[in-house]
Amino acid sequence: MNVAPQTRSLSWLIALIPLSPLVVFFVMPMAYMGMVSVFKNDPVAFFKPAFVLDNYAKFFAPFYLTVSLRSFVQAGLGAGIVTLLGFLTVLFVSDQSRWLQRLWVLLLLSMLCLSEVILAFSLLILFSQSSGIPKLLGWLNLWDTPRFLYPSFGAMMAGYVMLGFSIAALMLFPQISRRDRSIEEAAQGLGTPPAMLFVRVTLPMFRTALVAAFLTLFIYFLGVFVMPTMLGGPQNWNMTVIIQDRAVERFNMPLGAALSMIMLTVTAALIGGIAWINRQQDEAEDRV
Amino acid sequence: MTIRPLLRSVFLWMIAAFLLIPFAIVAGVSLNPARQIGFPPKSLSGVWFVEMVTDRGWQVAIWNSFSIAFIAAVLATAVALLAAYALWRRDTWLSRSVFSLGLGPYMVPPIILALGASIFWAEVGLYGSRWATAISHGILFVTLPLVIISSGFSALNRDVVDASNISGASPRQTFFRVILPIIAPYIITSFVIVAIISVNEYLISSFISGFTVETLPIKIFNNVRYGYSPLLAAAAVGFAALTVGALVLVSFFTDLVELFGGSAHESTP
Repeated sequence: MNVAPQTRSLSWLIALIPLSPLVVFFVMPMAYMGMVSVFKNDPVAFFKPAFVLDNYAKFFAPFYLTVSLRSFVQAGLGAGIVTLLGFLTVLFVSDQSRWLQRLWVLLLLSMLCLSEVILAFSLLILFSQSSGIPKLLGWLNLWDTPRFLYPSFGAMMAGYVMLGFSIAALMLFPQISRRDRSIEEAAQGLGTPPAMLFVRVTLPMFRTALVAAFLTLFIYFLGVFVMPTMLGGPQNWNMTVIIQDRAVERFNMPLGAALSMIMLTVTAALIGGIAWINRQQDEAEDRV
Repeated sequence: MTIRPLLRSVFLWMIAAFLLIPFAIVAGVSLNPARQIGFPPKSLSGVWFVEMVTDRGWQVAIWNSFSIAFIAAVLATAVALLAAYALWRRDTWLSRSVFSLGLGPYMVPPIILALGASIFWAEVGLYGSRWATAISHGILFVTLPLVIISSGFSALNRDVVDASNISGASPRQTFFRVILPIIAPYIITSFVIVAIISVNEYLISSFISGFTVETLPIKIFNNVRYGYSPLLAAAAVGFAALTVGALVLVSFFTDLVELFGGSAHESTP
């Protein structure tokens, strides 16, 4: 394309304007954090410039390894449940009328935007003995001594599902609503039973999208803070809560920063995985 | 075959119920005039809503949240608009890297963004200021506007722009008179969504200025820690109503189904 030098330099300028705030307020804080992660802890002034790897070494203590493992298990379980439920929901919704689809998108978008704090609070009420499920069960004589259902692992997972469901559903929505229905119809016409149709035809069609959704949710759940603190209790605290506890409650910024850097590395590796999967998918599509 | 559609409907209703019932209960609690949290309400009253909007502490929190959200939404939308426009004008390595960088914050767990931002603002000397929170929100929530406005640009017909240029309009005139009006619905949608996300965000606000600037989520979170009253339920309901209301408003001038990548045409069941 033949572009006048003047408009070309204007194009560069327009790209540079949004670049600068992104670098200053997104990249630089990350760089600062990397720097602080090798500093020494100083209870008075947050941290003291140094170059030590103690903060990283602490990660290999059994406590932090346990917390890491716990974070992975919770995130994996949450992502699995949410991806499955979201997939089924979107699959069914995509066959509904346009009007109902719009209502569902509105509901999902509202859930996506609602504060983790609000969602957690509404679940606190749902699980409380004075107004929620325990009261209902007591009232129905199904539970002799209704008690609070939180803090507990179950309450926290309900929170995860409520929080992540909209993300999974909205991520899967485009592919599912635009899917080529003729394949399913053809299989149906050949007399494939519904269960087999689902396992052999529908699921494989969205395998890559499902894996991408799972990994996205997995990363998202690694960073959840409010649900474990409000609904989970200390025995269910994940790495995010521990980082907040070390950095803010115990004034150990360098340790918090080092734990964050480790988490960032894990996240980056996972995102690299997603990108790789997407590329495979694109190549597969190109071949068709 | 008739049982399958029924099962599907039952499944969808159960999901909808799971998502909505907690809010129904919170709404019930907020209308119960008793001091203790209780459901179902014995009588109905708006006393907690009145107390929320007249209480000084809650007024401050509402003002904090809204002012931060407004600045953040302006910032995020402006940065996203420029980045998307740059990429649309010319696909260079620079415009592409700006776009990729804009996708970054969405992929980093919020705790990491929050910790990084708090260290950064402490170094700059603005730790604890509402401006710091607003700017961080504005930059870190740039991803959704970037994706939304880019989808607007990809729908923009280049012939229209060429026609404007051939007719002798300056680049600036073309931008403000031709491009901007076509992109406007996407800009408004982005603005509203960033504002909603900012109003609802807890972790980053709490790290940067949690001790000095109490926003609505921070206030609710702190209150839950020290035992809670129906006033909190009223706040949660007000919050949810505001979020849903803003989104319903957006849905009037944007096709949400299409915006989120749904098929543009009526599906044939």
